[in-house]
Amino acid sequence: MFELFSDIFTYRDNALARIDPRVKLAVALAALVAVVTAQGIVLPLAVLGLCLGTVAGLRIPARLIAVRLAAPLSVVAVLVVLQTFLTGTTPLFYFAIAGWEFTAKAEGLSRGMLLGARVLGAVSAVFLLSVVTPAHRIFQALRRFGLSRNWLEIAVLMYRYVFVLMESAADLAAAQKLRLGYTTKGRALRSFTALAGATILHSLEQAGRTHNAMRLRGYRGTMPFGPLPALGRKDRMILAFCLAGIASARLLEWGALR
Amino acid sequence: MKAISATGIHFTYNDGTEALAGIDFHVEEGEFVAILGSNGSGKTTLINLLVGLLRAKSGEIRIGGRAIGELAAEELYQRVGLVFQNPNDQLFAATVEEDCAFGPRNLNLPEEVVQRRVAEALAAVAALPLRGRAIHHLSFGEQKRVSLAGVMAMRPSVLILDEPTAGLDPAGEAQMMQLLKKLNREEGLTVILATHSVDMLPLFANRIYVLGGGRILQEGPSEDIFCHQEMIDRAKLRLPYISRLMYEMKRHDGVPIDGLPLTIGEAREQILDLIPKELIIPGIAEIGP
Repeated sequence: MFELFSDIFTYRDNALARIDPRVKLAVALAALVAVVTAQGIVLPLAVLGLCLGTVAGLRIPARLIAVRLAAPLSVVAVLVVLQTFLTGTTPLFYFAIAGWEFTAKAEGLSRGMLLGARVLGAVSAVFLLSVVTPAHRIFQALRRFGLSRNWLEIAVLMYRYVFVLMESAADLAAAQKLRLGYTTKGRALRSFTALAGATILHSLEQAGRTHNAMRLRGYRGTMPFGPLPALGRKDRMILAFCLAGIASARLLEWGALR
Repeated sequence: MKAISATGIHFTYNDGTEALAGIDFHVEEGEFVAILGSNGSGKTTLINLLVGLLRAKSGEIRIGGRAIGELAAEELYQRVGLVFQNPNDQLFAATVEEDCAFGPRNLNLPEEVVQRRVAEALAAVAALPLRGRAIHHLSFGEQKRVSLAGVMAMRPSVLILDEPTAGLDPAGEAQMMQLLKKLNREEGLTVILATHSVDMLPLFANRIYVLGGGRILQEGPSEDIFCHQEMIDRAKLRLPYISRLMYEMKRHDGVPIDGLPLTIGEAREQILDLIPKELIIPGIAEIGP
């Protein structure tokens, strides 16, 4: 669970980490739009390959990549299976289980693959963004994209306290484990329920204490955020180059499919 | 002039627990005062009253000569700053810099002033190199120092700390106390700290208030406080270890010691006075088994 949230790699110095977060966010959003609106699997898979190649080049551990991509990959697997067997008309193959007959269809398979490729392309773009930009820098950039200050404030506090609560939950879980709380399924369920309840209570208490600390430093309902510096020439050039590249790829794909 | 003055303070929690029963508490500007008490003695309640997080049932609290109720929040928190016991309670931003800038930005200061205050506050607690770090990547000791910097950036004239050395290793504890001493002696900050750790207080505190059962049991300089063994027991506290050793040597072994030394330095001087000069070998660096 900790690997899933670990942001230690975002603080490593590299060429991508040095780019302004607004540029990276804009490029990631453009890639998302291009991938989600793609009509074929080539563009989403190209984005997937490019992003995963970059992530590997940044020496992000394969285990972290696998953990973070596990959930979207399972979504894709379900998508492909459901689409293949539930949509389309041209049979590819069939099989029967306990009297139930399942027929895979060509149209369903290609639609499932397209949807799956879109999901993987989109997730890989966000994943790359998340390993080269600390969350607080993404929040800063989101301000420029018009996200409400209240949402940002909640995001900042959630990001900060998810680590505190995870630590507290990990301590509680270890204490339960040391007293045989997870030795049977029944005990595990009871221990997990108690852990969830205790974590909710901890979070409520933590919220009260944090609110007091904020009040003592002049908080009046709105968290102040620092100004964002103007975009440098290099960042503007990177932005223009990346956006032009994504637009060209999308247009090429559109032209090729027509 | 009095930095903080609390007179006849009573406070009872909603469940009927009487936390404070008629407290008189006064701190002069530039003093280093400790509130010493066991768990549940009312230290944190008193602190929360002094910064306006709680309201006293009766009694009066004055900050810099003005009643606490008359002060607007902005004014109050530029006079009094509170450092919480657990740094996680008050480090709510993602990075050290963002957290330290929180208070000054709430004061609507120009950004260059905010940045200057952040740099100065971090430098004051020897945490300037941590400026760009994420809070959750800091060690506990670093978090403690950064939480102090966050409050310092508000430029309060009175700094109140709840158990500032709790959870720190001995080196971190000494570093924190030295830092507070420096802020008090060099920057002129009035420091009030609540603690139940007795060993370091004689070195740093000008005066000590001993709290027990919601009442002030004794008030005065360290020498006056720690000579009342019975009161210390009643407050569920103990003497500093070095004083305890000397007390036991005096009581059980009849070692003729004047008063009760509170620090290792004082104890060393007294022991040296008792040893004939010819038995002292100067320059011994190591003691064998």
